Amino acid sequence: MIRGVSLIYGLYLMLPMVLLAIGSVGASWTNTLLPSGMTWQWFADVWHDVSFRKAFLTSLTVALSACAINTLLALPLASALHHGSRRGGGWGARIVSAMPVAVPTITLGFGYVVVFNTNTLPWLGTLPLLIAAHAVHTLPYLTNTLLSDLRHLRLDRLEQAAATLGASPWKQFIGVTLPSLRQSLLSGLVMVAAISVGEFGLSNLLVSFQNRTYPIVLLQAFYGATGFACAATIILLLLAGAAALSSSLVVRRS
Amino acid sequence: MSLVFEHVSYRYPNGTQGLDDVSFEIRRGELLAVIGPSGSGKSTLLNLVSGLAFGHSGRILLNGKDIATIPIHRRNIGMVFQSYALFPHLDVLDNVAYGLKLRKVDLATRREQARRLLELVGLGDRTHHSVSQLSGGQQQRVALARALAIDPSALLLDEPLSALDASVRGHLRDQIRQIQQRFGATTLLVTHDQEEALTMADRVAVLQQGKLLQIGTPREIYERPATRAVASFVGLSTIFPATVVARDKINVGFAQWTTPTADRQVGAAVHALVRPEHVEPDPPEGALNRTLGRTATLRYFGALTRYDFLAEGATQPLLAESPVPARQAVAVSPARILLLNS
Repeated sequence: MIRGVSLIYGLYLMLPMVLLAIGSVGASWTNTLLPSGMTWQWFADVWHDVSFRKAFLTSLTVALSACAINTLLALPLASALHHGSRRGGGWGARIVSAMPVAVPTITLGFGYVVVFNTNTLPWLGTLPLLIAAHAVHTLPYLTNTLLSDLRHLRLDRLEQAAATLGASPWKQFIGVTLPSLRQSLLSGLVMVAAISVGEFGLSNLLVSFQNRTYPIVLLQAFYGATGFACAATIILLLLAGAAALSSSLVVRRS
Repeated sequence: MSLVFEHVSYRYPNGTQGLDDVSFEIRRGELLAVIGPSGSGKSTLLNLVSGLAFGHSGRILLNGKDIATIPIHRRNIGMVFQSYALFPHLDVLDNVAYGLKLRKVDLATRREQARRLLELVGLGDRTHHSVSQLSGGQQQRVALARALAIDPSALLLDEPLSALDASVRGHLRDQIRQIQQRFGATTLLVTHDQEEALTMADRVAVLQQGKLLQIGTPREIYERPATRAVASFVGLSTIFPATVVARDKINVGFAQWTTPTADRQVGAAVHALVRPEHVEPDPPEGALNRTLGRTATLRYFGALTRYDFLAEGATQPLLAESPVPARQAVAVSPARILLLNS
């Protein structure tokens, strides 16, 4: 019974991806169950499409920038939240944990539109604002991953041990906290990159024509040839799959 | 280096009294064990010395200097944690050398010193192992070597053996004691295991509800407990409420026993403490304090059997132990009955 339900659920999950994969190599697909003919042309077309290549680079820039910013912010933030929660200030950690679920990206996006579409702060549509928005959106995911490891590894005990041996708070952070968290930091950053690359709602509100991200351009592709759109989606899917796989490998190694 | 507590009191952030006017001294090279039930304040004492807790009143003097304002990383105090707290990203050698690295000792010297300490704790062949490859006992020995590597002003042992199997505990207990004596480290051991305290320490302090009940050598604490609370916490015993009925004579309810009553008045309420090893099984008729009854619950320990002896008319069993349990009578030598004031 459970096996049957799992099978149906697996098919339900896999079917869209299988159809996309089939569509990406189908020569023609109009009002039929499956496409007719086979071709790799759609992938070549995506590769040669300037707007897709530019969008791909923009997405990569935004994702890597979000990773860099989050690394600088999440480590001290998680450390502060962890120590704060041990002293009874656990509300901060709880807010951070709940934020990605509780606040829809569209809310965040509208907030940015209201604040940054003014004469004082006329930054709507700029790449730095898009990067900042992605960093804010993905920060709780990385912070949560780090917080979970901080609790699990009992890093407070290790920091205390380092302190008794003569490590100042900074040296505790550099010499003990950071090396102990390197696996979860890496796995969290892969997740940040995956979320950023696939993010649509927030980017759709904030991008200008010049710095459209890959998912934004991808949506417009669906108004054209189906095979082209399928091939462009498969590329995004492979990127996300590679990120998820490397994340799980990192977790398994740790 | 000596460690002195002068009228130290501490209140937890929730307002509970953690320590209440505690004063004692740990002399240079001495191992002092602090024991007490959960919540007695023994860990608080240790945390105040290490700097993991702060905000006490009174003074804690390390080698004559008040450490209240010295940050934790400048106190030069070696600490061994119950959970070992070894750094998982460093190998065994680098764990031991960590404190020396912070003191800017050059690589070759610190590795040599760490290697020598690991030889001393019997782990010279494990220098490049990951700490996760070691057993609990081995990890605790690495933690001890790491704490000693910095030549600490005081060594703090926080329940160092409680996470280990009983088979490892005895051996490691002796080893820690030998190494502590060899280094002459002024040491504060906090434990809930009275056997650990009695066998390892030069002196033992008993805490209850933040108050220091008694401090003395293990023999003094065991054989001459100052209060009923100390007596019932340290070692096994039976304590009967009793009344002095004549000079050197007490009534324990089910019998009259002979024991020195010192200068206590007739009619004084006391408690009579009897250790199980002082209960003599089946004494000859006419022996002092011979009490008839029957043996109840038996616990076999190999070399001896511990049992409850139900004296005729008694409401409380007398805990006894001997190679062969009593059949119908027991006796306690008058000198072995300890009277405690009620």
